[in-house]
Amino acid sequence: MSDPFHDWPYLLAAIAGLTVVTVTTRSSFFMLPARFNLPPRVERALRYAPACALAAIIAQGVFTTNHHADISWGNDHMWALAAAWLVSLRTKHMVIMMGVGMAVFTALRLWV
Amino acid sequence: MRPSTRLLPAIEKAAFREGTRVMTPFSIAIGVWGLVTGVAMVNAGLSIPGALLMTFTVFAGSAQLAVLPLLATGTPLLIVWATALLVNLRFVIFSAASRRSFVALPWQQRLIAGYLNGDVGFALFSHRFRGAKEHGTPEQYGFFYGTATLNWLSWQTSSVAGILLGGLAPTDWGLELAAYLALLTVLIPMVRTFPAISGVLVTTVLAIVTVGMPMRLGLLIAVLAGVAVAVTGETLKARRAS
Repeated sequence: MSDPFHDWPYLLAAIAGLTVVTVTTRSSFFMLPARFNLPPRVERALRYAPACALAAIIAQGVFTTNHHADISWGNDHMWALAAAWLVSLRTKHMVIMMGVGMAVFTALRLWV
Repeated sequence: MRPSTRLLPAIEKAAFREGTRVMTPFSIAIGVWGLVTGVAMVNAGLSIPGALLMTFTVFAGSAQLAVLPLLATGTPLLIVWATALLVNLRFVIFSAASRRSFVALPWQQRLIAGYLNGDVGFALFSHRFRGAKEHGTPEQYGFFYGTATLNWLSWQTSSVAGILLGGLAPTDWGLELAAYLALLTVLIPMVRTFPAISGVLVTTVLAIVTVGMPMRLGLLIAVLAGVAVAVTGETLKARRAS
């Protein structure tokens, strides 16, 4: 399989589309005529979609290996994520959460 | 002077300075986030020109990090774009909430202001002008462009630094994990209520179970199911309260 990151037509199309996504979402209601409003039901769904999308990406990245669920003692990424989550109960500071997560991962990788 | 062709509205300088000042403490966090995104892009396999192009056009950290693992495996573009769209849907709410201050501007000024309206800037703007009687004043534009300019500068300089440094780090340092941890720091403040927690849990389980599905379709199924659960949860909660 060729590397998609060096498949320039694929990559350029991807980036162009992602830019369109940024502009259309950020500028959406700035561009629409004033008579268009966000219906409460739609707003409710929109409010939860980003959290769910982030959770799905994280879950597939951290709790799976080679397209299979991997919830095991040997999954270092999983323990690092769990550690960062535990830290977030005390502080939401981004640098501290990431630092602890990376430290746990590195410790497991080097010594376990 | 033909104001309709200008790219920026008239701004008040003192308010611009105020905007940069209140943005300053946040620019550190934005810098770390940009650095992580820059490193993650190169670490995932993007070339330096590809990563630079992405950071200067897409300009949306969470979406960039979220689609990296999809791009790395050559996922069909519709799924890639749909994923970015889902992550970015919060901006639709932001734009609806702050449109009153921008709606009178010519279209190109609205487009640019929207493009620059990120998470932190939106929060600061809403806080600063909550309860404002007048909308669309030079003071508001000054404040907005103060926060937006510093946000853009901290994001882009740190992203470029990350892109240039990213290639130097060995892959077994687990820097792809740093990207997921960064996404977690964005996710956690969003998940405080019962509907949000239930939606995220359902999404997480479904995303894991469906990871083997072709074209990463499981991702979209998991998100749609999670949103449905969250919205249902909120409806039930509201019904019980009334």
